Formats: sequence, structure tokens, C-alpha cells
Amino acid sequence: MSEHIVSSYDKDLQNLRRSIAEMGGIAEKMVADSGQALLRRDAALAQAVIAVDSRLDGLQREIEEKAILLIARRQPLAVDLRETISAIRVSGDLERIGDLAKNVAKRVVAISDQVQLQKIVVGVEHMNELVQAQLKDVLDAYATQDTVAALDVWARDGGIDALYTSLFRELLTYMMEDPRNITFCTHLLFCAKNVERIGDHTTNIAETIHYLATGEPLGSERPKNDASNYTVVNPPSA
Amino acid sequence: MSASPIRTQSIIGHMDADDRARVRLAVKDLNFYYNTFHGLKNVNLNFYDRQVTALIGPSGCGKSTLLRTFNRIYSLYPEQRAEGQILLDGRNILDPSIDLNELRSRIGMVFQKPTPFPMSIYDNVAFGLRLIERLPKADMDERVESALRRSALWDEVKDKLKQSGMGLSGGQQQRLCIARTIAQKPEVILFDEPTSALDPISTGKIEELIEQLRGEFTIAIVTHNMQQAARISQFTTFMYLGEVVEFGPTERIFMTPEKKRTQDYITGRFG
Repeated sequence: MSEHIVSSYDKDLQNLRRSIAEMGGIAEKMVADSGQALLRRDAALAQAVIAVDSRLDGLQREIEEKAILLIARRQPLAVDLRETISAIRVSGDLERIGDLAKNVAKRVVAISDQVQLQKIVVGVEHMNELVQAQLKDVLDAYATQDTVAALDVWARDGGIDALYTSLFRELLTYMMEDPRNITFCTHLLFCAKNVERIGDHTTNIAETIHYLATGEPLGSERPKNDASNYTVVNPPSA
Repeated sequence: MSASPIRTQSIIGHMDADDRARVRLAVKDLNFYYNTFHGLKNVNLNFYDRQVTALIGPSGCGKSTLLRTFNRIYSLYPEQRAEGQILLDGRNILDPSIDLNELRSRIGMVFQKPTPFPMSIYDNVAFGLRLIERLPKADMDERVESALRRSALWDEVKDKLKQSGMGLSGGQQQRLCIARTIAQKPEVILFDEPTSALDPISTGKIEELIEQLRGEFTIAIVTHNMQQAARISQFTTFMYLGEVVEFGPTERIFMTPEKKRTQDYITGRFG
């Protein structure tokens, strides 16, 4: 894209891009660290994740203010307007991703002295790794406005949903096996749900990239494999 | 032909069925010359009934030249000539047999600088009417009042109709010119940067007026204010170096233009 006649306009847009990149970096690290903290039941690392979230919130407010100011000052059109609106949307998704990672971290602190079921913790961490890869890819796609890469992320979210559904079954089964597992498993279930929601926000970002690059919303329904809403596991008959 | 093809069909497809507009003014293969300078190149363009079409583009791109062909103002200058067709309800207005007085009452024009005549407010509006119609005083009064009302000027001037039109403010003078134009009951109104000399309040009033006039007339407006084009038009044409680069529904031109040149212009990237 060639440059604006008014060079400060380019600087305003570059500022927005830079802030989004900074938010993306923080959000990625929060998701990765919350996964590691869960895997190792590392309360100190979890506390660090919780502490950094306010930085993400601050950046989101900053981006929103900058974008509103840019609209008021420059009345952006076409690709510039789409970029400004996209910055507002993406910063909102990244802020939510931070909140969800923070919530996982809080649960890590809560369950650090609970019964250990490492096998299923590994399952949640695996899901977390898949989501991290999605987040990284979608942030790269945003920086380069690569619609193909964004669509790829968008389509892959179905795999994460499917994994969540199977973890959901597994956790219900553990809880039925032994009531002493319930506290731990419930927290873990919420962790898995949070990770699944992070995946949803990465697909939102993918949709925004498509809008940014083409001006069209992604029309068709995203393939969804989260069947946990309908999943029931019956207790063994007494 | 170097001008990009205009996909009228798909554009009409964008409109609601009951909003489906008919073509009022059709420009076909129009070329315009100032002596040897080729000012308009193979312009093909439709103007739809009761729709506002904005013409945008950098200075010298041919927007005003195009407007000037519609009422043949150019024919005052012997070295200027137009080739091709401009069909008003199917009839070619470039045809030499066209009665220019009649044509100019059917296609009215409002200019960048208000052009009130040095006469009373009343006579400014009645002047054009007297050229084309002989009306009894009562009828004339009614036509003048109606035109001033529809130009949103009546309340401001009703007590001083005998005072000079030159004494009005810039925005009022512009509305007086619009009243003079619509008094003749034209079918098409051409606005050539009608608000570029006005303050924001007067600009707002003129924009509000254009929105109201859209119910009755076919309107073409040349503007350098992109936001104004986005606000008040249903269709937008981007012109560059005498050619139509892109034509389409206004929201599409301003959100997702197809041509890079259009995008560069409306986003302020013109090098």
C-alpha cells in the first residue's frame, strides 16, 4: 500500500499496528505460561500471568482511544476505515484471550494442592498448545494481512472443539469414579473451557482479517465440533 | 476504448426491487475536446431517476466538464465540442436541433460560487420562469413561494422579497440559486461543488436540501469533499484524466473500491 499524502496519517495507522502486535505478544505469552503453570502446578508462574493481564487491558483501552481519535481526525475510508475498525475488534479479542488465560492461572493457584491426575492435565495442556499455534498463526496472518493463512486458522478450530468434547467426557468419567476428584476435575473442566474459548477468539480474529483484506464478512458458518453441550455420561448402574 | 466497462446490470442488482431506479440520463461514448485537448474520453455513465450521483476525482479530471456537457453550456465557446450521445429520456441532447432554452429548464445547474442576479429575491426566482412561461401574478407568486419553501429559504426571506438577492449570506444566496433552478421544474439538477464556498452550517443546510430534493429530481453533484459524497449520494463515479475509472453504489465505492486508483484517491494516497 502506497503512503498517504499526509504522513502523520501513516504514523497513526502504524501506531495502531504496533500496539496490536504488542498486545498479541503479551497474549501469546500469557496463554503459553498459563499452560505451563497448569502442567507443573506452578503457582508462582500463575501469579505472574495474573499480574500481567492489567498491561493487556491498558493496551486495549489505548488502542480503542487511538482508533476513535483517528476516526474523528481523519475520517478514514475504504482500507483505512477497515483497518481502524479491525484494530478495535482484534484488540477486544486479545483482551478477552488475556482474561481467559488469567482465569486458567487463577485456577492453577486454587488446585495446586489438590489430587493430581496428570494424564488429564496433559490433555488440557495439549489443547492449550494447539490453541497457542492457532494464536501465533492468526497474529502472523494479521500482520501480513494473509487471508489464506487466516482462513486456515478459522477452519482448524474445529479440531480444538472436538478435543474439548472428548476432554469433557473424560473429566465427567473421573468425577463419577471418585467424588474426591470433583474439585480438581471441575477446575480443570473450566480450564479446558477457557482454552476452547481462546480458540474461538482466534477464529474471530481470523474473520476480522478476512474483512480487513476483502471488505466482506466471512459468510458461511464455521465448522464446529464442540458437542459438549449435548454430551451426557451415564453413571455405572448401582 | 480505454475507459473501464461500467457494469450497470450488477449495480441495479444491488438495489431493492421497489427501489429499482430507471435511467434518466445516459451518457454513451462521450468525448469532449477543448480545441485539441481531449477532456473526456469515451465516457459511459448512467444517472438514475431520483438518485444522487456524486462525481469525484482530482482537479482537472473532467468532472465539471462532464456536468457542463449536460446543459451544453460549452456551446457558448466555439472551440469546444462534444462527440457521442447524452440521452435524456432517450433523446440525444447533443443533437443540434435541441432547443437550448428548453434543455436548460429541464436540466438546471447550481455553481460553486452563488450566482444571484443583481435584482430582488423575488425576481431572482421569477427570472428564469419568465423566460419559459407567461404566468398571472398570483400564479407567479405561488411558484416563487413554493420554490423558496422547497429550498428551505422561505422563512428567512418571506418578509424581504423585494430586497436585493445580493444582500443575503453566502449560504442563503446558494439556496436562492437552488430556488431559481427548481422553480423551472427541471428533471435533472447539476450541482458543481455547491458547498465549497460555504461554512459548515450552510453546508449542512444544502446537504439536507439535496436529500429532500432527491425525492423529485435526478441529481448529479461534483464535490471535492469525500465525506460529502459518502453522505449524500447513492451512486459515486470516480474520474481520472478524463476517464471514468469506477462507478458503483456509494457504500461500495467508499468501503471496498475495486480499482486501486479509486482506493488511493479516496484514502488520500494520491501520489
